[in-house]
Amino acid sequence: MAVTAERVTLRTPGETGLWSWITTVDHKRIGLLYGVTAFFFFFVGGLEALLVRVQLAQPNGEVLSAAAYNQLFTMHGLTMVFLVIMPIAAAFTNYFLPILIGARDVAFPRLNAFSYWLFLFSGIMIYTSFFVGGAPDGAWVGYSPLATQLPEVVRMDYWAIGLNLLGVASIASSANFIATIFTMRAPGMTMLRMPVFVWMALVVAFLLIFSLPPVAIGLFQLFFDRNFGALFYEGAAGGDPLLWQHLFWLFGHPEVYVLILPAMGIVSEILPVFSRKPLFGYEFVVFSGAAIGFVGFGVWSHHMFTSGMGPVAEAGFGIATMIIAVPTGVKIFNWIGTTWGGRLRFSTPMLFSLGFIAMFVIGGLSGVTHAIVPADTQQHDSYYVVAHFHYVLFGGAVFGYVAGVYYWFPKWTGRMLHEGWGKVHFWLMLIGFNLTFAPMHILGLNGMPRRTYRYGEGLGWDLWNLVATVGAFVIGIAFLLFLWNIIWARKHGEIAGNDPWDGRTLEWTIPSPPPVHNFDEVPVVHSLDDFWHKKYAEDEEGRLVEMATVSGGTLVDTGGEGEGEVHEEHHDIHMPSPSYYPALSSLGIVITGYGLVYLSWGWAAVAVGAMVTLWGLFGWSLEPITREEHA
Amino acid sequence: MTDETSSAGSPGPAETHEEGWIDPTERNWFRFSIVLLVAFAVAVGVAGFALGFQVPGDEARVDPRTVADEAPWSDRIDNPVREVAPGEYVVYMIARQFRYEPNTITVPEGSTITFYVTSIDVQHGLKIQDTNINLQIVPGQVSKLTTTLDKAGTYPFICHEFCGLGHAGMFGTLTVEAGEG
Repeated sequence: MAVTAERVTLRTPGETGLWSWITTVDHKRIGLLYGVTAFFFFFVGGLEALLVRVQLAQPNGEVLSAAAYNQLFTMHGLTMVFLVIMPIAAAFTNYFLPILIGARDVAFPRLNAFSYWLFLFSGIMIYTSFFVGGAPDGAWVGYSPLATQLPEVVRMDYWAIGLNLLGVASIASSANFIATIFTMRAPGMTMLRMPVFVWMALVVAFLLIFSLPPVAIGLFQLFFDRNFGALFYEGAAGGDPLLWQHLFWLFGHPEVYVLILPAMGIVSEILPVFSRKPLFGYEFVVFSGAAIGFVGFGVWSHHMFTSGMGPVAEAGFGIATMIIAVPTGVKIFNWIGTTWGGRLRFSTPMLFSLGFIAMFVIGGLSGVTHAIVPADTQQHDSYYVVAHFHYVLFGGAVFGYVAGVYYWFPKWTGRMLHEGWGKVHFWLMLIGFNLTFAPMHILGLNGMPRRTYRYGEGLGWDLWNLVATVGAFVIGIAFLLFLWNIIWARKHGEIAGNDPWDGRTLEWTIPSPPPVHNFDEVPVVHSLDDFWHKKYAEDEEGRLVEMATVSGGTLVDTGGEGEGEVHEEHHDIHMPSPSYYPALSSLGIVITGYGLVYLSWGWAAVAVGAMVTLWGLFGWSLEPITREEHA
Repeated sequence: MTDETSSAGSPGPAETHEEGWIDPTERNWFRFSIVLLVAFAVAVGVAGFALGFQVPGDEARVDPRTVADEAPWSDRIDNPVREVAPGEYVVYMIARQFRYEPNTITVPEGSTITFYVTSIDVQHGLKIQDTNINLQIVPGQVSKLTTTLDKAGTYPFICHEFCGLGHAGMFGTLTVEAGEG
């Protein structure tokens, strides 16, 4: 720690103030922005879910009208998928991907800022629809021709344009992550020495780049159907309503893996640390993730088994869906293998990770029942499906991301979250989650259809709906506790130090919170779990022996047998200069989006937005690479 | 005994194995997974060929603007159930926002009933409780499914594809009468 941040950084961006956040291109700050925004939307989406559950608590619910209910469940789905889970994954990836591979930033820092601002503005844009005549109400899947009907109401235009803009943001950040992983790894950080989380981020980036174009085309076609009298999905004019379903699910199913793979990556980081063992079968986990990425593109039609595709297509997609269970199962066995015989510590991140495994196994198995066509055609669009995907996306993804928050919060803030409250949070969430979603399996098998705003008495659905509503409020309490824990710990949490969990990966070698440039000296990596092997060796009986070469948690290069030792001179580290052009460009794009939604009189907004975007892009290209004044 | 057990492929100074070595436990799990997969595939085969499982079929293309006025759908209200052979019935059904036509169907116990269903506006669903009937009703496409009803009773059917404001109120009843035939 001889060299301080001030001395090695020529242009430290402004540390405080709103402007410093708007202009930041620091991957860590952008990661935090993603995280805070996602957390905010999580509470909004959660509130929508609670309203839905209140309405369904009893038969013939009177709380919401059908119109309000349709907006709320549509926005709940849209919010949780696009404005919560994807950005929280982006938050972790932004913050930790460069650090985990020993880089100082992502490959394209300004593009990174652009992705965030476009995501934020698009999310806000979709939500403004609530205040100007109503939110999208055609379900987040937007099946046409329902979504192309009612062109005098712009709700589904908000949905079509908003999703497309979010897609642009995702593609930009995916390209950024891929370039970062391929070009900016530290010396010695070969592909098979990368932490599993980085591998999963890589798979997710490729999934997004290949899956977003189909739905982008579909959304434009749908938009054209609504506004320009195109007939892509108009059955009456020879169009095909099923084409939309194919395009949507060709995106929508890889999207499921986009949501879950980063959580799997996080759990694959946490389990070895709290088991004090290396990840069981690292290569198997990595290549299973990649296999999921490939096979994920061949399973989309299992969402459409009742649409009349015929037996050959259904058999094919059924088999593909079973096959994708294999790499998923491999991962589960490897996680269990990692904990097997380990010296386990049941800290909060570990609890959430184990909760992830248990809940994801339930969700995964109910997913396999969808692969079996005869079973699926009984469950299609019933609450059984709702139960299934909440077990995967809440019991799986959300548990994984919460585990990640408890695990990495010390690195973000330098302070620990409160362990006791964390454990209460875990048990409340586990109980509330199962109370809410386990009964939905029964409801679904008893025939309760999705997306109905009320149901009659005497259908046998009363009890379990009430239980589900009670459970939803338990989840709500759990997350209020989580919020309080975060607010409390930011000021009063225990000081964490560099390496509070006795970690294995590079982020624990640097201070908490990390300096702007991450590493005073770019690390040289000799093996998987490099930091661990610098701290511990094994004696002849395989017992851990602490090594003396680690001082104060700072990685000291012992000059091992690694090839290509590079001891960097302590010259000044150039970090990218802050820029407001990315935010400006994305603002222009969203103004254009508003114009497209209100096409009849929105041409002016389209023109203004296009000019603002061009202004932003020109400024972006032409601004000096470095800021003039030296801080 | 050991805290830091070796795993397949993990680097470091752990015990070494030759290339391609797989832990016996892991290998057994692979075998178990393969057995499971084969079992599932066999189950699908049995369902398809031995039990006569049928998937919803894309039977024909129609024009959703005119199909309601064309035979055989045009007299769906007056003549909801047609007997085409002893004990074999055919129902031509139209789904629209937010009702089924016909929405009450009565057949005797033990009859085989085939549905030809299409929509004239948006997508709907037809799920008849306690039967194998569950299909998406797509405008412009005729979906066909057949079921045999051996037990007398009332089978409610509901729309389960979200179809708009009145979605929750879209249902009908299939009644199977006992003692005939």
